[in-house]
Amino acid sequence: MSEALADDMLVCRCEEVTVGDIKKAIRDGARDVVGVKRRTRAGMGLCQGRTCEKLVQQIISKELGVPASETGTSSVRPPVRPVTFGELAKGDVEDD
Amino acid sequence: MSYIKTGYLEYSELESLQTLPDEKRYQEGPVAVIECVQNIPCNPCEASCKFGAIHIGSPITNLPTIDTRKCIGCGNCIAKCPGMAIFVVNKTKGRGIASVSFPYEYYPVPKVGDKCHAVDRKGEYICDGTVSKVVNPASYDHTPVVTIDIPIEYANEVRSIERGYQP
Amino acid sequence: MIHKDVLVIGAGPSGLSAAIEAGKAGADTLLVDLNLKAGGQLFKQIHKFFGSSAHHSGTRGYEIGSLLLKQARDAGVEIWLQSTVIGIFPGGKVGIERGLDNGEKDLVTLKAKTIIIATGASENAIRFKGWTTPGVMGAGAAQTMVNVNHVRPGENIVMIGSGNVGLIVSYQLMQAGCNVVALLEAAPKVGGYSVHAAKIRRAGVPIYTSRTIIEALAGEDGSVCGCVTAAVDDHFQPVPGTEETLKCDVITLATGMKPTMDLVKLAGCALKFHGPLGGYVPIHDERLETSVKGVFVAGDSTGVEEANTALDEGKIAGISAAEELGYISHEDADAMRSEIWSRLDSLRLGPFGERRMKEKKAMMEEYSETVKVPAAFQ
Repeated sequence: MSEALADDMLVCRCEEVTVGDIKKAIRDGARDVVGVKRRTRAGMGLCQGRTCEKLVQQIISKELGVPASETGTSSVRPPVRPVTFGELAKGDVEDD
Repeated sequence: MSYIKTGYLEYSELESLQTLPDEKRYQEGPVAVIECVQNIPCNPCEASCKFGAIHIGSPITNLPTIDTRKCIGCGNCIAKCPGMAIFVVNKTKGRGIASVSFPYEYYPVPKVGDKCHAVDRKGEYICDGTVSKVVNPASYDHTPVVTIDIPIEYANEVRSIERGYQP
Repeated sequence: MIHKDVLVIGAGPSGLSAAIEAGKAGADTLLVDLNLKAGGQLFKQIHKFFGSSAHHSGTRGYEIGSLLLKQARDAGVEIWLQSTVIGIFPGGKVGIERGLDNGEKDLVTLKAKTIIIATGASENAIRFKGWTTPGVMGAGAAQTMVNVNHVRPGENIVMIGSGNVGLIVSYQLMQAGCNVVALLEAAPKVGGYSVHAAKIRRAGVPIYTSRTIIEALAGEDGSVCGCVTAAVDDHFQPVPGTEETLKCDVITLATGMKPTMDLVKLAGCALKFHGPLGGYVPIHDERLETSVKGVFVAGDSTGVEEANTALDEGKIAGISAAEELGYISHEDADAMRSEIWSRLDSLRLGPFGERRMKEKKAMMEEYSETVKVPAAFQ
């Protein structure tokens, strides 16, 4: 883990968010993973942050000088995996 | 304890961490050498020995100890050790030759008579050898046990063969 | 809507053993997994497992998988494969994209009286210059390629990380016919068991401790053609002037794992950060119940460990779910659990397990202090 991270290095590859984007989000007031996500879309792509969340936590931790345990974790909402609109449309939505 | 840095044991280090056969025992016939030195929660070697020579007991993280008087060097434990950390050394073959038996899970499976490059614990070439036995019954579950003949002076160092070596 | 007593999400070692226990006790149990085959990571584990000779040790992972599958069927567990849980909704309703025999998918909703979340873990990435270059992949991905799909990821591999995953996958890549150029470890010592390290050293693979990757090099075709490594200081920072270049066409990352959290988050389970367990984990009690009543966790999804501990945690969760529904009396469940806990404690002894055992105990203490009584589904 190199100290001198180039600003153009990708962190969230799904949404193509770089180290520089995340540092800027932190300068703009992001204090946790959700704050960075709202400002940059990091973690909002196909993998839903499975690859980048820990990397985002590390950057926040270093930039703000806080332990990783204080950098938070992403919120989730369904569907947690990609589903086609076709399947959603024919889905079983009856109630009890 | 350099093995934690390098990933392999020096014989002197092994001697200080495990009970090894003494030279007198080596002169009496083949014997198992257990190179398991960390407290792993694991004990199939104990059950694999029909002669009750290997003891772990409770807790399961105890190091295995070998009673070299009970061990006959049959090699059944070699294939049963999930860590592939048991070898059989036979220094009683005569004519300056010893044999070393080890687990070998690579293709191609060596054949009796094959010439090979014998390597030490860090995979470095030590001497030439000849495959003298390959045991691979169903009960070993795809872990062939290969025995090679080598000059006796290398018996404590040789632990495998170079993969894919062709003379 | 479909109704079930117990829904187990994830058919790896912990999910399978949870489903077996619940099914054996008589609960109407459904096991759901998104893969083609049940067994989770077990079917790519071609090595013999450590553990107690009384509990499958010395048996190869995939054989344990087959054994568990048979036990699950014998216990009357219904299994849906290629089926993905896409959400857990208010009131404990679960949305499942169900794989059908004809290859189609159907969206179904289901209500389960209890849910066991056993969704495992995912690999950590590390960042270095060029880490998104084709040819850089997780060690687990490389392992799936060789052991499940029978495809070599490349010819010459550099492995990053010397934990058990890095050591074992290096060995298996060689068994598949790849050449492992080197294994790099940023820490000053080998992370995994020395017997695993010894296997790959005997095979001629160098292990460089206190050294890490700083750049993946791309060739003309844009994919990996090598990497630059550097020695690191006590703070894991590269030391200028120590750079060395290795030729390789694949770089595999075995840099730890983190629990898969999405479903426990949706279920509303309380989370706590526990570094040694892989990051945020859902906290649970001795019955493996989370802060939400009737929602249980087991295996790597509540702290990254090993298959052996996952198997035992799964059993506890399955027993507790059956107990919750009255299929097992509290006394019997307590007795069954205490036997498993004593085995789990012994599996967690030794220099490798102790840290996790302490962390697990601390987590269960937090649970008793902060949760006390699990809350009903919101």
